[in-house]
Amino acid sequence: MVSKKGKSNQNIERIQVKNVNVYYGSNHAIKNVSMDIKEKRVTALIGPSGCGKSTLLRSFNRMNDEIVGCRTEGSIIWGGIDILDDKVDPVPLRRKVGMVFQKPNPFPKSIYDNITYGPKIHGIREKEMLDKIIEKSLKDAAIWDEVRDRLGDSAMSLSGGQQQRLCIARTLAIEPEIILMDEPCSALDPIATAKIEDLINQLKKNYTVVIVTHNMQQAARVSDYTGFFYLGELIEYGKTKQIFENPKMELTENYMTGRFG
Amino acid sequence: MRKIWNTNNSKVANKGNPFHLKLNLREKIIVALLFSAASVAIIVSAAIIYTLAEGSFSFFTAPEVNILEFFTGSRWVPSGSEPSFGILPLLAGTTLIAGGALLIGAPVGIASALFLSEFAGKRLRSILKPIIEVLAGIPSIVYGFFALLFISPILRECFGASYFNASSAIIVIAIMVLPIIVSISDDAMKAVPNHLRESSRALGATKWETSTKVVIPAASSGITASILLGLARALGETMVVTLAAGSVARLTLNPLEEVQTMTAYIAQVATGDIPPGVAVSAAFAVGLVLFMITYTVNTIAGRIVVRIKTGTTAKGKKLRHNENKLIVTISRFIGYISGSIVKITYNVKIKLKFIKNKIIKTKTLTLGRRYRKERIGVTAIGMCLVIVSIFLVLLLSNIITEGIGGINGNFLTSFPSYRPSKAGIFPVIMGSVYLMLLTMLFAAPLGVGAAVYLNEFAKDTRYTRFLRRIIQNLAGVPSIVFGLMGLAIFVRLFDFGPSLLSGSLTLTIMVLPIIVVTTEEALKSVPHGFREAARGVGSTKWQTVRHHVLPNATPGILTGIILSLSRAIGETAPILFIGAVFAKTAPSGVFDGFLALPLTIFFWTRHPKAEFHTLAASTILVLLVILLSMNIVAIIIRQRAQARREW
Repeated sequence: MVSKKGKSNQNIERIQVKNVNVYYGSNHAIKNVSMDIKEKRVTALIGPSGCGKSTLLRSFNRMNDEIVGCRTEGSIIWGGIDILDDKVDPVPLRRKVGMVFQKPNPFPKSIYDNITYGPKIHGIREKEMLDKIIEKSLKDAAIWDEVRDRLGDSAMSLSGGQQQRLCIARTLAIEPEIILMDEPCSALDPIATAKIEDLINQLKKNYTVVIVTHNMQQAARVSDYTGFFYLGELIEYGKTKQIFENPKMELTENYMTGRFG
Repeated sequence: MRKIWNTNNSKVANKGNPFHLKLNLREKIIVALLFSAASVAIIVSAAIIYTLAEGSFSFFTAPEVNILEFFTGSRWVPSGSEPSFGILPLLAGTTLIAGGALLIGAPVGIASALFLSEFAGKRLRSILKPIIEVLAGIPSIVYGFFALLFISPILRECFGASYFNASSAIIVIAIMVLPIIVSISDDAMKAVPNHLRESSRALGATKWETSTKVVIPAASSGITASILLGLARALGETMVVTLAAGSVARLTLNPLEEVQTMTAYIAQVATGDIPPGVAVSAAFAVGLVLFMITYTVNTIAGRIVVRIKTGTTAKGKKLRHNENKLIVTISRFIGYISGSIVKITYNVKIKLKFIKNKIIKTKTLTLGRRYRKERIGVTAIGMCLVIVSIFLVLLLSNIITEGIGGINGNFLTSFPSYRPSKAGIFPVIMGSVYLMLLTMLFAAPLGVGAAVYLNEFAKDTRYTRFLRRIIQNLAGVPSIVFGLMGLAIFVRLFDFGPSLLSGSLTLTIMVLPIIVVTTEEALKSVPHGFREAARGVGSTKWQTVRHHVLPNATPGILTGIILSLSRAIGETAPILFIGAVFAKTAPSGVFDGFLALPLTIFFWTRHPKAEFHTLAASTILVLLVILLSMNIVAIIIRQRAQARREW
């Protein structure tokens, strides 16, 4: 799409979030948030529990549509299209905007079937191509060496960390342009977390990553940009270094220094 | 990490605006189909109401009938030279039997539930719970057989009851409503949060005191609902009353006499004992009254159940207080009366003493007395379950000893006959098998489709809520009313005649709500994460359902279908109007008449000759073996799925 133009300018504003409001019934979960997500960068959304960061994340691939009673206003412009528009079909959108969930949620099928599920429903049938996709996405997700000999095994037999990397591979297999991660490490041990974080650093070469995290060290380690949310509002947004070392808002500073949260 | 397929010029990517809503025709057609499957419930309900209204209309407009007399008259003599249609005797019969059954069934049921929920350990529970489930699985025709040929003779001997009598039906129906009361009360008691029990125990209450003073009051709305649902079941019960209570409508409350209930009258019409004419259309008017009564009872119970389910939210707390008022008042009233009786009989002396001394002493119960109370209480409620188990053992052993001798190759392979020594049930078994297969053919797609629509696609609209309510109500319609509807719609309106097709369609409607409910449960058990993951990689809703939800829910769905079919194969009342009395051969096409196992049991049980009672018992054994094997298959499917399940 606009990627040709995008490559010439490093910081082209790829995804423009404009005045987004999200309501769950009468609960105003996201209050008038506007921000620009940069292409091929990792953007972290941080803030205390219930501040709305996951809700905003789920707006990028319209996952909120699946929740009964959830209403979204405003617009998210990507490549000249408002993806929050009713006319936009979330199904093809999600082929371009992949998502990794908080809890590893592999399908109770073989590793092979987990990875090929996405490409298959999008019409890929040739075995050669599928095999290529399998190898590539598992390698990209840094799990190929661990599972190459047992692709037919159930995905449920993997450890939690492996399952999460499998889920990332499953997302990579649909070759999206944006990858959304909703606290991808919260259910994992430190070693598995380190692996996922390395992976995120690799991913930003080719993907735009938006990650929600509870862990501020993690945000500092993996992200280029950070947005701090509090009670549904975007308090501060900027380069990660600036947010962590020199926050402009007192609220951000208080959160960073652990005075609440 | 270069892309290898999902690029803009790859063949799977969309041209132009990549995210424009594509008109996905396939998906739309599927959703439309599922939507129509769910909407069948509305058509069915409309058909039932139309049937009853139309029949009642032609009854009330008949010259012999007077509406006022219908509701106030105390004579119900449908045939003869001077017919009279006053429904009071039928109402009295129904009240006597349902009320009597509940009078026994409710206390025994609540006591059993209390024992199961609070006192039975895990192992005891795993023995006792199946006993209750077996009771629920026995077809009502079997209970009818037992009431007429086992209970009734005892009552005749001991109390001088007449041949047909209300009390035998009351006793048996009390056992039949037990499973409903026990399972719903047990659920309600188990739903009482543990911290309530703990705080009661921490204050020094015994287990018994905690159960009666904390758990039962907290579960009171669930218990009320269970009693109401049991009442609806008792009101709608047909086969037991038809067989055991008799067919003479009499305005009496003496349980030793013969009475006729509303359901029994409809059944009497169905079996052709009533000459055609007004007396037949009277069945529709009686059906309408019965329908309205059970509808009201079920609706009240349903509301209570819904409130309990939502009662866990902060909002629901308010509701709880309000709706408990009734039961609290009732229990206070009962407590007051029993309390005063106790006072009068035991405490008068002590009280007098207090007054004499003019000192009001605080009387504390000794620990020993409190423990004795607990022992007596637990023993008493445990005895309820022992009695229920004895009943089950008696029922089964009676049928086995009566019927086992009659089962041989000849019995299974030959045809029914007037000579009991030659009679067999080959075409009957075939009729039941065909009936079941055809019912499955209709009911499984409809029921599963409706459940998939409701659980996966339906938004929370007014229409969806209406649909849910309709399906819930359909589940509570007495089975004989389905029979009336089958007669009016399938046999007459569609002109399918008294055929296999009409029979299976009627049974389809009866089992539809059961399949919807069990399928929805199976769908709900599939973790939400699977749906999110599938949607997250860009599956459509239907792809998500077909690839992930349905495969993982299949064992649960299959189990539900098998169990509902085992319900269908044992049902007598709905096909009473349709099944043939005489069919010499097994049906060879869907428009052929048919005989079914429960129908044959019914006719042979009613037969005056005792040899036919033996044949009925043998047929019951065959039916029970079929039911048992279906249940075993369902259990095996469930257990294998659980063992294999990875989530």
